[in-house]
Amino acid sequence: MAAPLLFLAPSLVVVFAVLVFPIVFSLVVSGFKWPLSVGAGERAFVGLGNYVDLSRNPEFWNSIKLQLGFIFIAIPIELILGYAAALLLNREFLGARVVRTLLLLPVFFLPIISGMTWRFMLQPRYGPLNALLLTLGAPEITWLSDPTFAYLAVVVQDVWRMWPFMFMLLYAGLTSIPDELIEATVVDGAGFWRRQRSLILPLLTPTILTALLLRIIDALRVFSEVYVMTEGGPGSATLLFSLFANRVAFGYGEVGLASAMAIFLLVLSIVFAATLVRKNMSLDILEEKAGGR
Amino acid sequence: MNKRRRKFLRNLLIGIAAFVVLVVELYPIGITVLNGFRRDIVILSGRPFELSQLTLRSYALVLKNPSFLLGLKNSIEVGLFATLLSVAIGAMASYGISRYRFRGRNVLAYGFLIFRMLPQISLVIALYLMFKAAHLRDTISGLSLSYVSFNVPYVIWMLLPFFAAIDRSYEEAAMVDGCTPFGIFWKVFLPLAAPGLVVSAVFAFINSWNEFMYALILTGVNAKTAPVAINGLIGGETLTWGQACAAGTIMLVPVFVFTVAMQKFLVRGITAGGVKG
Repeated sequence: MAAPLLFLAPSLVVVFAVLVFPIVFSLVVSGFKWPLSVGAGERAFVGLGNYVDLSRNPEFWNSIKLQLGFIFIAIPIELILGYAAALLLNREFLGARVVRTLLLLPVFFLPIISGMTWRFMLQPRYGPLNALLLTLGAPEITWLSDPTFAYLAVVVQDVWRMWPFMFMLLYAGLTSIPDELIEATVVDGAGFWRRQRSLILPLLTPTILTALLLRIIDALRVFSEVYVMTEGGPGSATLLFSLFANRVAFGYGEVGLASAMAIFLLVLSIVFAATLVRKNMSLDILEEKAGGR
Repeated sequence: MNKRRRKFLRNLLIGIAAFVVLVVELYPIGITVLNGFRRDIVILSGRPFELSQLTLRSYALVLKNPSFLLGLKNSIEVGLFATLLSVAIGAMASYGISRYRFRGRNVLAYGFLIFRMLPQISLVIALYLMFKAAHLRDTISGLSLSYVSFNVPYVIWMLLPFFAAIDRSYEEAAMVDGCTPFGIFWKVFLPLAAPGLVVSAVFAFINSWNEFMYALILTGVNAKTAPVAINGLIGGETLTWGQACAAGTIMLVPVFVFTVAMQKFLVRGITAGGVKG
């Protein structure tokens, strides 16, 4: 018992200091009216008051609506694009490897560079997208100062950045399907759509579910790219959950209320993360060679 | 013969389609890199691109910009410091999990993984209050510590498959020779695990390099990193797109090298918790 403890002690100390303690502390703070600056009034215990306030706060529900819309619009599009690209690129042609690698660049880019890039693309007058609209004879769109278009732009940015993520996982899944199985359906005379429905989709379903869970967990905490792109604006048109919590804590200075939001999102994320871990992650890799000690 | 020609034509068409997809996908990145080599006044005029516009002026400006230079220095320091700590701590934990069986081992391993996936906003408010009380706010060590928090669980899971693949006979031989458990880990095991350590270190560094939210909230003037400095370049009233894009391109160089060099490990890296700032 002593030896494993020796190896695990440093990580346990870190996890306790910067993960467990902050969570417990957030839970405590969420029970208080807790101003950010000392001059802004006294701290006072309010029990579940912050959670009640949240449930009555239209801005809170707005951020939930925006967050859910973001997840339900962006992720299905990413899945479809990624699936199509995986099918297209699952064969060898000149430069196939280069294409498959370079497509992944946006996934690993700094989120803030993605936000900055799209902020530039959508600028009035000199932004490339508006230049294109003008060349086509269409009217210019002031993307980032129109609530609907700004929200759309945030979704488009995410689709652009993350569909290659779906592609990468689905492609990895596709290559693990034996060629003989696919050839067998070709010999049987099954067409493209029937082959998808009866063979490839069922075999890929576990991969698709994993990819969806990973993306949902990721999309629940989106912040940087949107912050740089719109700062949550115009008004609160793109104020997704994390951006709103940040504004409540460090803009309005209501740390207690923001902590209640933090706990709410934490619980939601743990549900998804635990589902993913139970479904997908396994210590079995350790058992093959392991005898234990 | 006919069949071979049809196959060749089909592959040619697919190659062209793939190339078009790639060009469209990388176009925004190309624009950003290109704008780093153009003057602000040219960018703002909306004039179409010409070769004569190319200049290193924005790079010269941004490399003299004290805010970005400090940010770059801090990004490198925090990245290296956080990586070193995370790999040291993570490798020990991963070794403990892969080589020993003990009560609570599964709970612990899966717990680490769940912690990796928690949203940063859920932790950063408490971290802000804690760091302020402990005078760690706006310090390199404070920010590095916050990066260690998400990198340690990540490194642990990145390393598990590497560690599981290492033959135990060396360690068993060392044990017969009377080495202590830590001596075996340090002198016998770690050299064998070097490739895995390098891969997880590279991932940990990129995680830290790309991070924005903790840096934004937990630092001020002294410890702010390059992403925060770049955000300052685009947020203001004056539009310095050229400088912002030059700075962004500098930040993208390690990421580009990473994506190409780590190809083999990208899927594993992403399923161990995703690369996300």
